[in-house]
Amino acid sequence: MPIDQPILAIQHLEKKYGTTNVLKDINEVVAEGQVICVIGPSGAGKSTFLRCLNLLEQPTSGEILYKGENITRFDRTQLSQYREKVGMVFQNFNLFPNMTVAQNLMLAPQRVKKESEGDARKSALLLLDRVGLRKMADRYPEQLSGGQKQRVAIARALAMNPEVLLFDEPTSALDPEMVGEVLQVMQELAEDGMTMVVVTHEMGFAKKAADRVWFMADGYVQENGTPQQVFDQPTSERAQNFINKIIND
Amino acid sequence: MKNTGNLFYRVVIIFILTMSFGSLSTAKADVPEMSSSLSAVKARGELVVATSPDYPPYEFLVNKNGHSTVQGVDIMVAKKVAKNIGVKLVVKKMNFDSLLVALQTGKCDMVIGGVNPTPERRKNVLFTKMYYHGGQYILVKKSMSWLYHDKNSFKNKTIGAQTGTTQYDLAKKQIKGVKVRGMTSYSDLVLALKTNKVNGVVMEKPAALAYAKNDGSLRAINAEFKLDKGTTGVAIAVKKGNVSLAQAANKGIDQIQKQDLVNKDYLKKAGQYLKVNTEDTSMWHYWRFFATGIEYTLIISIVSAILGLMLGLLLALMRLSKNRLWRGIAISYIEFLRGTPMMVQVMFVYFGIGVLINIPALLAGIIAVSLNSGAYVAEIIRGGINSVDSGQTEAAESLGLSMSDSYRFVILPQAMRNIWPALGNEFITLLKDSSIVSIIGVTDLIYESNLVRSDTYRGVMPIFIAMLLYFAMTFILTRILNHYERKMQYAN
Ligand SMILES: Nc1ncnc2c1ncn2[C@@H]1O[C@H](COP(=O)(O)OP(=O)(O)OP(=O)(O)O)[C@@H](O)[C@H]1O
Ligand SMILES: [Mg+2]
Repeated sequence: MPIDQPILAIQHLEKKYGTTNVLKDINEVVAEGQVICVIGPSGAGKSTFLRCLNLLEQPTSGEILYKGENITRFDRTQLSQYREKVGMVFQNFNLFPNMTVAQNLMLAPQRVKKESEGDARKSALLLLDRVGLRKMADRYPEQLSGGQKQRVAIARALAMNPEVLLFDEPTSALDPEMVGEVLQVMQELAEDGMTMVVVTHEMGFAKKAADRVWFMADGYVQENGTPQQVFDQPTSERAQNFINKIIND
Repeated sequence: MKNTGNLFYRVVIIFILTMSFGSLSTAKADVPEMSSSLSAVKARGELVVATSPDYPPYEFLVNKNGHSTVQGVDIMVAKKVAKNIGVKLVVKKMNFDSLLVALQTGKCDMVIGGVNPTPERRKNVLFTKMYYHGGQYILVKKSMSWLYHDKNSFKNKTIGAQTGTTQYDLAKKQIKGVKVRGMTSYSDLVLALKTNKVNGVVMEKPAALAYAKNDGSLRAINAEFKLDKGTTGVAIAVKKGNVSLAQAANKGIDQIQKQDLVNKDYLKKAGQYLKVNTEDTSMWHYWRFFATGIEYTLIISIVSAILGLMLGLLLALMRLSKNRLWRGIAISYIEFLRGTPMMVQVMFVYFGIGVLINIPALLAGIIAVSLNSGAYVAEIIRGGINSVDSGQTEAAESLGLSMSDSYRFVILPQAMRNIWPALGNEFITLLKDSSIVSIIGVTDLIYESNLVRSDTYRGVMPIFIAMLLYFAMTFILTRILNHYERKMQYAN
């Protein structure tokens, strides 16, 4: 796929915790509208990589270019603006339990984008419609099922109108019967052209929605290809073993 | 002859005085302390006299038609002195333990309160001539009075006296084999007598006679101590070096001595005032005292709880900040305040800081209690913030929320809910511990119930009422806190 204007370009990214080197020299690009699935064994550094992408973790060295600008040098206001553009969905949802579903969606638009309460609520309800949860607008998170919570979390990230969405194992804390409804929402987002970086082991989703699959291990991206390439003809033995394992699970 | 407190009090007072005078000498020019020289008093038009009105017949509160005023022999002496100077008398009430410190820190011009001019006290303040020589009596139970004739009847018995007073020393030195029990207030000593914890209580003649007259079960007997006239009378204290005011007071005292006014006039009048009090010693008659007490206890508790909460939040955020200086300040503050008794803090704020800025007792009490509570609240809030899942901060951050917004809307509301029971406990503790401010004369519930005790000669009932009132307040507070705890459940 030709990439004229990558939305994200990662160059020589490194992350160390003390002496442990979690990410070692990562060099990849994400084009606008692409869906990337990141797979790899536990401890490979997938979460760390994703958290570096929106600077929840500060990289030790290397650059992350967002539309050509190096985000690791951003000051506070630039960082806040960047985070508006890059949303994140967490494994454990991290909804705000002290607010209703609608308030969860309205907080950032009101405080960061200074939208009026009325406008924020209007767009919140539209987004809830989109994830099929308008009825739940005035419930509290603890009254929702896991799948519903994750759909709310996706809607909350969408409320800031982001250009990129990052997902860190969005379905792995869910009961199996709820995985489908969340993947369905993500699939729709992908079809609408959202740029997404998704850490997931849901091969079905990866095959249907992903443009590229990255296989990470030992702090490197060891394979980068289409889902067919990576899943059906992995080049390294490491990747082969891993893929056999998730197929058999 | 009342005490200046036990050893602990003395150490505190000495500490505060050292601090105060230390700062005085360095910043003498801009100390807004009240000047007490004769000309200053004349220019002001009023003489501020501090006393502790719990020592009938010298000074006590009279509760008549719902109004309470300070009366007694000392007040009449002070009135005479003020009249001689040609100014109005203003009486300031405070705890006896605080009187001499108040004088030295410029919170009053004079102290009157049955004070003995002992050599020890002469080192710190200047005394006028003595205006009365009472002599020492011993109060005993009437039913046992056939056993006791004078001090010598108390061989191998237990006798009560105010701690650190002349009476205490007299009993110890002049009665062979006696065991002396020291307590700080006469109400407590008489209660100890009535409940057989001591066999007699040494006190000055007029006080002993007043007790005997007002309580049929008690009798006063002459102790027959060998007395040294130089120290057993009572005198007015002024600030050391304030000779002009002492001389002006001496003129009035000379007249009082010449006409024997204390014996012929003042004691009788005081007796009549006392009758007003003891005519009706039902607690209901004193409801205004308790109402004032509740009012002040509530004012202090509520204002201090709010200020303490704000201070605690600030300290908690400082302590959690990445800046080492902020963190260091917060940790030192919290450790220091938690490592010192609130009583010392209250006295330090009133007398120590009061030297630089003259603050009223109520304000000093509120400041001290707030500063103290802030330290405890800070630790509670810090625990609460730490208890909020770190995923919450990350979610807020990933949405682009500023640090202050994520604290305000996400972290703190959740932290508050987690710590509400602990905060509630702190508020209840604060309500109860606020009673410490009574030592600087804030008229809280403890202070007022002690007044009722000394006025009515009833030792237990006022304590019991105070206990019930404290319980009622904490009970209601607990209900309110529970109500909000239920409201804080997110979904109902
Ligand atoms: N804050 C931290 N301090 C020290 N080490 C960390 C920290 N966060 C992660 N690590 C370490 O970095 C390595 C990579 O962790 P990471 O969470 O990125 O892996 P992952 O690929 O997401 O694994 P999983 O599939 O289990 O989620 C692990 O060895 C982990 O112990
Ligand atoms: Mg992970």
